[in-house]
Amino acid sequence: MAAGEDINEVIKKYLKDEEFMKYEQKQESIDRILKENIYLTMEIQKLETELQEAPGSSQIKEDIPETKMKFTSLENPEDDSRFSNISCSFQVSSQVPYELQKGEALITFEEEEVAQNVIRMEKHYVQIMDIGVEVMVKPVPLNSGVRFQEMISQVSVGVSKMKVNVTEIPDELPESQMRDKLELSFCKSRNGGGEVECVEYDKQAGSAVITFVETGVADRILKKKDYPLYINQDCHKVVVSPYMETHLKKFQVFSGISKRTVLLTGMEELCPMEEEIVGDYVNIHFQRTKNGGGEVDMVKCSLNEPCIAYFQE
Amino acid sequence: MPANNCSNPQTKACFRRGDLLQSLQEEQARLKMRLQELQQLKRGLRNSPQDKVPFPVPEVPLVFRGHIQEGMEVPKSLVSDLQICYPMPGGSALVIFDDPKVAKQVLQQKEHQIELEECRLRVQVQPVELPVVTTIQVSSQMSSQRVLVSGFPAKLKLSEEELLDKLELFFGKTKNGGGDVETREMLHGGVMLGFAKDEVAQNLCRIGQFTVPLGGRQFPLKVSPYMSGEIQKAEIRFQPVPQAVQVLNIPDVLDGPELQDVLQVHFQKPTRGGGEVEALTVVPPGEQRLAVFTTESS
Repeated sequence: MAAGEDINEVIKKYLKDEEFMKYEQKQESIDRILKENIYLTMEIQKLETELQEAPGSSQIKEDIPETKMKFTSLENPEDDSRFSNISCSFQVSSQVPYELQKGEALITFEEEEVAQNVIRMEKHYVQIMDIGVEVMVKPVPLNSGVRFQEMISQVSVGVSKMKVNVTEIPDELPESQMRDKLELSFCKSRNGGGEVECVEYDKQAGSAVITFVETGVADRILKKKDYPLYINQDCHKVVVSPYMETHLKKFQVFSGISKRTVLLTGMEELCPMEEEIVGDYVNIHFQRTKNGGGEVDMVKCSLNEPCIAYFQE
Repeated sequence: MPANNCSNPQTKACFRRGDLLQSLQEEQARLKMRLQELQQLKRGLRNSPQDKVPFPVPEVPLVFRGHIQEGMEVPKSLVSDLQICYPMPGGSALVIFDDPKVAKQVLQQKEHQIELEECRLRVQVQPVELPVVTTIQVSSQMSSQRVLVSGFPAKLKLSEEELLDKLELFFGKTKNGGGDVETREMLHGGVMLGFAKDEVAQNLCRIGQFTVPLGGRQFPLKVSPYMSGEIQKAEIRFQPVPQAVQVLNIPDVLDGPELQDVLQVHFQKPTRGGGEVEALTVVPPGEQRLAVFTTESS
């Protein structure tokens, strides 16, 4: 077969016309089924992930983007223990997703009563440019998804100024002896160490937590990723890392309901129009008390394609 | 999957088309069945929400504030009120420069000599490195010792402390079905009470409804199981504050206000690589302070 010749052309030469047609049809079916199978596999994967959460437990898994921090104030708390670690605290709460379909909109009112009123009225006749649209207002069905458990909590992570985590400790000595060696090595000031208050040693895991008497020693040691541990004549490098204590406060699982945001449906015929323009008209209509509305915080119309809107506290 | 080779022209010339088509069709049938299975499961869960959670969960009002999904990035949770408290020892100071480049220049010299009339003060400078949480993973599990008390009327004329006290008193009594209360916390959808004994929590959930005296009147309250949270994973990364410089080991020679002035003058001298100082605070010797940092936008 000469290079560059189209395979199909070659096959055509060797097959009768009708045989070649059958060959081409089969080829098309194969391509089509292949594409369909790939699509089905992706849909299955999506659903499997969605349904994966075991009943009785749910998760928040979040990668927090880098945020710039600025100095706010200097404080003098009464509780001395607050000086023994650098604490990072924040609130984390689930955002509940709602899939807004084409022809639907969300509108958030400032007052709950206005939202309830607009829902009670059900049908609203809204003028959008020169088109009159009958819009239905309903509560947002937030709980019709698979996830029912949303979480909200205060998290605090404290990096200790007095303790360090030690790992990769070789398993060469009996427990009590190794504990002594650890204390001896970590109190050597020439290596950055300081007076040791206590040593917790896990022989099996090859790890330990060293608590120092003074704050500041931990910081010094953590400037490097490893530390010299002397065992008889040998020097081993053990890995040091910050010792963290984590706390959750005011943790609560809840199911979200929307009281100030309502769902508008029935705008499918507006679909080719610009979402923002329609949004403005809707906003103006629902701001008028004569239309049963009131102060509007936010409007989002979905006319071009469905979008996922997030509900939060 | 043999189908992967279909893009290869060599394979296209293979005449065992029949086998390939058939196996692809069989594969599709299997995939369709699996998809149907999962869709049914999802529908089932949607229609009977109570199957997913063994007990009703308190409702918290949520609002749409304009956040929509942008591209493929889906932030499922919102992080807010980020605050970092950084302990500072006695005899130290915190200098915040207007320009981060100035801070960088100042930090190039580990030791600084501060000129006074009669002598020089030798101090050390260091950057401020804050531990910022980069990943957080929290999971919830039904608690055997804690319960959630809910059903409070909207406008209760009690302070948080008063309400917690009254609930602890009521549910601390065995005659009410309760027992020793170990922990208590005010939450969005109610109050969490933690008991010393599992049986107490279980018993209270079983009873479910209670009439509790609060501020002179009786109110019907509900007790249900509490899902408690646990941090599965928390990762941090040390991030320097670009405009900040820590001054350490300041000799105890000057008074607070005097020291502040002297430091300000020193760090503003452009000849010494200094520049405009936005803020400068001093920690008196023998004491400690917490420097509080919050997110730039707040």
